[in-house]
Amino acid sequence: MLQTLQISGTAALAPTLVLGVTALLLLLIDSIDPEESSSALLSGVATLGSLVALAAAGAILVATGGEPQSLFQGQLVVDGMSLFFTFIFTSVTTLVTLASYDYLKEFRYKAEFYTLVMLAATGMTLMASSNSMATAFVSLELASLPSYALVAFLKNNRGSVEAGLKYFLIGALSSAVFVYGISLVYGVTGSLQFDAIASELGNTGEGLVGVLGVGILMIIGGFAFKTASVPFHWWAPEAYEGAPAPVSAFLSSASKAAGFVIAFRVFTVAFPQSTVGVDWVLAFQVLALVTMTLGNFAAATQENVKRMMAYSSIGHAGYVLIALGALTGSANQAFVLGAGMIHLVVYGFMNTGAFLFIALAEYWGVGRTFEDYNGLAKQAPVACVAMTVFLFSLAGLPIGGGFLSKFFLIAAAVEAATIGTYVLAFALVINSALSLFYYSRVVKAMWIEDPVGDFEVGGYPTGLYAAIIVAAVATFLLLPALGLFTNVAVDAAASMIQ
Amino acid sequence: MVPIEYYMVLSAAVFCIGVFGILTRRNALMFLMSVELMLNAANINLVAFSFQNGNLTGQVFSLFTMALAAAEVAVGIGIILVLYRNFDDVDVTKATTMRW
Amino acid sequence: MSNPWIAVGALGLVSVLVPLGMMAASALIRPTVPEQGKTAVYESGEVPTGNTRIRFNIQYYMVALLFVIFDIETVLIFPWTVIYRDAVSQVGLTKALVPMLVFIGVLVVGLVWAWRNGAVRWVQPTTSDRRQTET
Repeated sequence: MLQTLQISGTAALAPTLVLGVTALLLLLIDSIDPEESSSALLSGVATLGSLVALAAAGAILVATGGEPQSLFQGQLVVDGMSLFFTFIFTSVTTLVTLASYDYLKEFRYKAEFYTLVMLAATGMTLMASSNSMATAFVSLELASLPSYALVAFLKNNRGSVEAGLKYFLIGALSSAVFVYGISLVYGVTGSLQFDAIASELGNTGEGLVGVLGVGILMIIGGFAFKTASVPFHWWAPEAYEGAPAPVSAFLSSASKAAGFVIAFRVFTVAFPQSTVGVDWVLAFQVLALVTMTLGNFAAATQENVKRMMAYSSIGHAGYVLIALGALTGSANQAFVLGAGMIHLVVYGFMNTGAFLFIALAEYWGVGRTFEDYNGLAKQAPVACVAMTVFLFSLAGLPIGGGFLSKFFLIAAAVEAATIGTYVLAFALVINSALSLFYYSRVVKAMWIEDPVGDFEVGGYPTGLYAAIIVAAVATFLLLPALGLFTNVAVDAAASMIQ
Repeated sequence: MVPIEYYMVLSAAVFCIGVFGILTRRNALMFLMSVELMLNAANINLVAFSFQNGNLTGQVFSLFTMALAAAEVAVGIGIILVLYRNFDDVDVTKATTMRW
Repeated sequence: MSNPWIAVGALGLVSVLVPLGMMAASALIRPTVPEQGKTAVYESGEVPTGNTRIRFNIQYYMVALLFVIFDIETVLIFPWTVIYRDAVSQVGLTKALVPMLVFIGVLVVGLVWAWRNGAVRWVQPTTSDRRQTET
């Protein structure tokens, strides 16, 4: 059968390699004639590269059936989990590069933009397959450093520069904390590879549990930054608001998913709950609760649509954190992790789409507050239908995949059957109800309110529209087709846990 | 031989100096230097533990950390330059066009 | 045997006492001749103008950044050189050499891009700028 087909060696890393080579190719194209860069060519190459990487990830997943492939003496591993997340990263990258074609038309440094996006995507796919603290840290930085530059990309725009500065400052701080945590864990276990750390943990002396606990807490801090959850969350509203909207889409979807995949792998493979004397499940329960509540309540008070979406993205990070907070001994662990993965897939499409709609609004020169969106549906009904699908799916109404994925998260939390997880499930329901309130404000503004002044939209940009419609169709189709992903996700989670 | 605890105390002290610098300084360049201190504290740990454990993993990883620290500084200085160009200052608390 | 730190302490004490004693002795026996020239920054050199806080040309930053990046990359080449001979004898020339060539190739692509985009092109400042930067 196909299942037994072996994809050997570095061929299993094809998606990562394709993304990296695309980035270098873009640099070379730009080097030929730096002054005259063709928007269509650059955007085309970047989109094509991410599509090829997407196809490669799918092909490898089908061919190997998610069988783990250990590479470079176990430094990297390609398994169902990493391919599943590679699928998320490459689809988000494709949407973003497609949409940037119109958004970037008037800017000078186009090639740099696409190169940075591709490099960040390379780092994210590497994060998904890294199997040691060393590769995890290096790939995390490879994903972060281009993101800092991307956020500050509009270098004459004060908001963008300020966002870039804040993102960079918090990022640098959290990566220093992260690497210090790694050094403490290395001190206790004498190894950086995840499975070796897990097997060493059994022999840890009594006195070293404290050092290990501090190390694990610091590593959680590093992940909290990447996933924009408490306590390193407050860069997110600034960075997402100030950054160019396609970049906000990229960061809030792909970068967040990258943070989660590495967190999933580290905490299930390197620090399994059964062998670590540190109760990290409790830590994640608290973080999940605080993150989702804070994100949603802050979102409800915003006047600015982009900032509202930024806080809602913090709230969604809180939902996904349930997947780690519900990993108690009594839980069906594969299902819990699988639920988190599914939510990230759906979130990847619906959130990217929503930010791309904001990009469209910025392209038209519409203002940023709720009132500025008044009556947009009369001018651009198609885009507004898409935006409505995104927002209601984000809130969890059964119009897109967001409904089912939230349902899975609740089911997973309830099944774990401890007081903490019941609280989490309850909090998710309450927060989703609250989120419906602020999402529907945008919908109301678009469809019901009358426009303030007479306003004509300036053209219908092809790339942006295509990206938004693809994202909307994907979000909608994920409602019936989510079963397809569920099996893959749960199988991938199960094969990683055992 | 110097006991491993001494190295840990040294690195913890360097780390705390870095944290202190981040919390008290408003100059973005000072912030960068403080982050460098924190990264180097981790490097001290890694090299000391590597010596203690008798494998080279930690030392090689500290080389990676150094390279990444340099890359981070390069990106950071770039951002600080555009910050200066836009706000005429490198004070991190001056940049407040958006509400916190 | 007594504590070895006593010797270290004694050395420290002596190393502080000797210069202090010398300064004290010369202060006691030397004649005092106050003269303005002695207080100048460069005693027999140029008279300095302006203060030390001048703005440097921004292009120095560009070159310095490039230098930092490419200089630090040698750190990653260093462990490879240490094991190169052993690696060649164990896995053959190709497997030992090609990964490093790929790595350097990636760096070269970056350098070519930076070069073509004018990162190392030195723009001559106009005269009004020059006066500002050089004083």
